[in-house]
Amino acid sequence: MLLALVPLAGCVRPAEGRALTDLQVGQAAGGGLSVVVEEGLAAVRSLEPGGLTLWGNAPAFRVRATAAAEAPEWWTLVVRNAMPDAVLTAEAGGEPLEVEDGPSVLPTVKTWRVRLVRGAEARLTVAPPDWETPRPFRFAALADVQEALPRVGDIYARMNEDTSLAFIFFSGDLTEQGSREQLEEFQHRLEDSRIPLFATLGNHETFSGEVAYHEYFGRGSQHFTFQGIHFTQLDTGNGTVDPVAEEMLDGWLEQGRDGVHVVGMHIAPLDPVGLRNGSFSSRNEAAALVGKLARGGVDLTIYGHVHSYYAFSNAGIPAFISGGGGAIPERFDGVGRHYLTVDVDPSKGVPEVAVVRVD
Amino acid sequence: MRHPLSSLPRLVGLALILALWPGGASAENDSTSPASGGAPGTSDAPQAAPEVARVPVASEGLVGGLPPLVPREGLRPRPSFEVLPVVASVVPGLLFHGLGPLTAGDTRTAGRLFALEGTGLGLLLGAGVPIALTGASRRVIGPLYGVALAGVSLFSVSAMANIYSAVSPAFTPGVAAPRLPPLELEWGYQHVHDPNFDYRHFLALGATARLSSAKLEAAVRLSPNEGNTRVRLGGAYRLIGEPEQARGSADGTALDLEGGVLYHRYPTEGFLLTGGEVGLRGRYAMARLSPRLEGSFAEVSVGLAFQGYSFFGPASEDALHQQLLFTFGYGVYLGRAGPLRGEALLYYDHRKDDYPGGVKAGAGVPGYFGLRGRVLLSERWGVSAEVQAGAAYVARLSAVYAIGGEP
Repeated sequence: MLLALVPLAGCVRPAEGRALTDLQVGQAAGGGLSVVVEEGLAAVRSLEPGGLTLWGNAPAFRVRATAAAEAPEWWTLVVRNAMPDAVLTAEAGGEPLEVEDGPSVLPTVKTWRVRLVRGAEARLTVAPPDWETPRPFRFAALADVQEALPRVGDIYARMNEDTSLAFIFFSGDLTEQGSREQLEEFQHRLEDSRIPLFATLGNHETFSGEVAYHEYFGRGSQHFTFQGIHFTQLDTGNGTVDPVAEEMLDGWLEQGRDGVHVVGMHIAPLDPVGLRNGSFSSRNEAAALVGKLARGGVDLTIYGHVHSYYAFSNAGIPAFISGGGGAIPERFDGVGRHYLTVDVDPSKGVPEVAVVRVD
Repeated sequence: MRHPLSSLPRLVGLALILALWPGGASAENDSTSPASGGAPGTSDAPQAAPEVARVPVASEGLVGGLPPLVPREGLRPRPSFEVLPVVASVVPGLLFHGLGPLTAGDTRTAGRLFALEGTGLGLLLGAGVPIALTGASRRVIGPLYGVALAGVSLFSVSAMANIYSAVSPAFTPGVAAPRLPPLELEWGYQHVHDPNFDYRHFLALGATARLSSAKLEAAVRLSPNEGNTRVRLGGAYRLIGEPEQARGSADGTALDLEGGVLYHRYPTEGFLLTGGEVGLRGRYAMARLSPRLEGSFAEVSVGLAFQGYSFFGPASEDALHQQLLFTFGYGVYLGRAGPLRGEALLYYDHRKDDYPGGVKAGAGVPGYFGLRGRVLLSERWGVSAEVQAGAAYVARLSAVYAIGGEP
């Protein structure tokens, strides 16, 4: 016990570093171009003269790019993990910029060439054409792949059969240890999916010491909208929400107050099996968070971490734990690998959440 | 369907008693030998120690089901202090829990601590493997966590006992106060540093009343500027051992049935926590395990809490949340007589709903660590203090006023 006490100092904000890293996601400068992805909704994978590669972590996002005087005029933009029907629109100073479609080797990898105006800030939007139009759609919710990464393709194959799914909303634990090799394998295997996967991280992404997650997949805490629905993902990989992320959450709740709002995170604030407490380290912080979500008008909460399926409510908000990505399953629950399909409607809320068994 | 945790408190309490009792019975025999001039060799502890101290004595015969520790007015020789056992008790003694007394030549105490450590590791392994294999299944997790925590508690107690056995010859060990006051009042200041909450400063109030075998407790924490208020009312009934206000010469070994209700209001965050809890709490005088451990005690409690949250405003919640309660610690009695007397306890608490929450490094599983002490400095006045570390840091300092006073 004495030894255990020593490392506790400074541990009341274990997620602070990741929350601060979130604020840097999507910002880069190099090769004569400075780039800012608004709201950090895409990670900059590479930036070199004439070439920019992004990993999208939302169905739609905007990029502000300013080319230096000596920068190339034409730039190749590659967006990985993009919506299959995403298009690039670009303008600078109110004037549209020239855009050419490039080859697309995978449904979720999009390539364009865009002609930038040197010295002027260009505004690039990567999104499906009607992404701001409110309308019902369906998405999949998945979490906790971890050591089952080699066979996650089964799940993607099952999802590919459902052409109504817009994207995968992933609630953490992509990998077992969060190492670069495992993150790259996750990315590689995701190529089997017809649709992109928008993720937050889990506690397993923090196990390798250096948390490389943000470099590959972007923010742990973020907010985006699609077809009139608000989505928020929170980094709860340590069973807490860092105050930096919670301050951002306050703003996102305000943005989504009058709309349909889906919130996802890895570790649930409150485990429905209280004796286990696979949830926040402080039940009081948990209660404060779910109360805040309820008062913010959140319509649905989706969690992972527990490798099973639970349907319950927190502070009156419908809640689902769906950790069916293949990690060591909870026994005796009658549920194997699975994911959820979630129907959302801007005018009706969340009409249906269904379990899809993979095994 | 019968809940899987329904028999947990009984199970863990029984496991604890079974784990410690044989050592206690043996230690009793050991401790009587030097005083009665019995055959040498019942303990490997140094017999010809330079200091001879008066030891706590138990009442005659079985008291509340407990055998006496030593005969009345018994005397026990103290082992001499050596540096090497202290070093060995830390490195590598934190891994091998009998090395402190073993280095001092006390093979019997060493054997018992090794056995205690092994039992703890066995319980931890015995529960940890099924937890992993079942994916922490809701069907079995309650009893398995209880057994795992019992294992951790035995492991921790043996680690602390190992160190204590090595350093205790350097001082005269304290004794359990023969009589605790019938009524104690506390008031003081509590500081909470929690990055997720605005509150910092609290008024800390407490009261304890001891009535024969029963004890009633009340604790209030109030943040005057922020309004956060936590009230806990509890009671305990002594099942085994002498009542606290009439210990006499007993060593403090006891088993209590505990219960309590909780009210915790968070006006800024807009919710209210209410609940009830029940459990067992046991204290064991470690001198029963070995004379080297005289003046120290181990404490373990296990229980179950049921809690509900009410949210202010439109949010509604009707779920009843369970919580596994489990604490363990290693303490020492302070003082033997005279003005300064009390006790201090280094402990672990598995609960997640108090101000410190749980350590954030374990994805919600671990609780928090704490150190608390209470001493009476005069017949009526004393101080108590506590520090806790989990999801937050908590520190408290209170004045104690004893009505009835300690003798």
